[in-house]
Amino acid sequence: MVNIKQKRRNPAITTSSMSDIGFLLLIFIMLISLMNQRYEEKINYSESTILERTQADENFEIWIQSNGKITANAEVLNGAKLENAIIAAIAENPGVRIHIIADRETPYKYVNEVVSVLQTLQHRVVSFVIKEK
Amino acid sequence: MIKRFIRHNVEDAGSSGSLNDLSFLLIIFFIVIAGFNVNKGFLLNLPSKDKPIVVNTQDIMKCSLTQEGQLFIDDSEVKIEELSDLIVEKLKTWPNMTFLLVINPDTQYQKVVDVISTIRKLKVENFSFRMEKME
Repeated sequence: MVNIKQKRRNPAITTSSMSDIGFLLLIFIMLISLMNQRYEEKINYSESTILERTQADENFEIWIQSNGKITANAEVLNGAKLENAIIAAIAENPGVRIHIIADRETPYKYVNEVVSVLQTLQHRVVSFVIKEK
Repeated sequence: MIKRFIRHNVEDAGSSGSLNDLSFLLIIFFIVIAGFNVNKGFLLNLPSKDKPIVVNTQDIMKCSLTQEGQLFIDDSEVKIEELSDLIVEKLKTWPNMTFLLVINPDTQYQKVVDVISTIRKLKVENFSFRMEKME
């Protein structure tokens, strides 16, 4: 009598492609994070216990140093230049969110310079960016 | 001497668990890093320069913030904790109260943020701020 009953193999999941998938995901996320890379100035953020998320889909960040130096997208902006930069950002995307990111020791008059320009341009909403305490 | 050759089962190279763990840890790291770029703070509505809003004088609570960060209401100094109590009292009688903050041009930004934070905490709906006129 011929025994045709085969020996049953132990069930196993092949995991050889797992590391490939992992590294592909890794490269994908690295590229995405590079795309989202933004210009930053070295400042000491103001802090508060109460804050809300102010990030929008389109954002325009204005950085103010404690010495009053105003920059946006790595460009120093003074007076008319600041106004033109904001106009350009709004013209490109009317729904753009303007963020003011000022050093905690900045005298308020420099922040007010930016606020005044926004008021002149009749831009209603502004975000004061701070960090959580 | 008798040599016995034992055939060992070849292990799957891809099944090295540490490689998977490492890549997934890196993925989590990058996902967390991406979350750091989100801006948080206060969203404020700016009033129009040309069309000032008319408010009843009884509805206004005017507060001055000096260069040193001191708060003054009707020429008397108040601490930030006292300000909270005053606002709560005022809100009881005037729920539509407008809080007007007049800021000295040389006041540090952090001091301004502290006051705005207190106002936000007390849920004052009408909040207005402007800078003192420079001499």
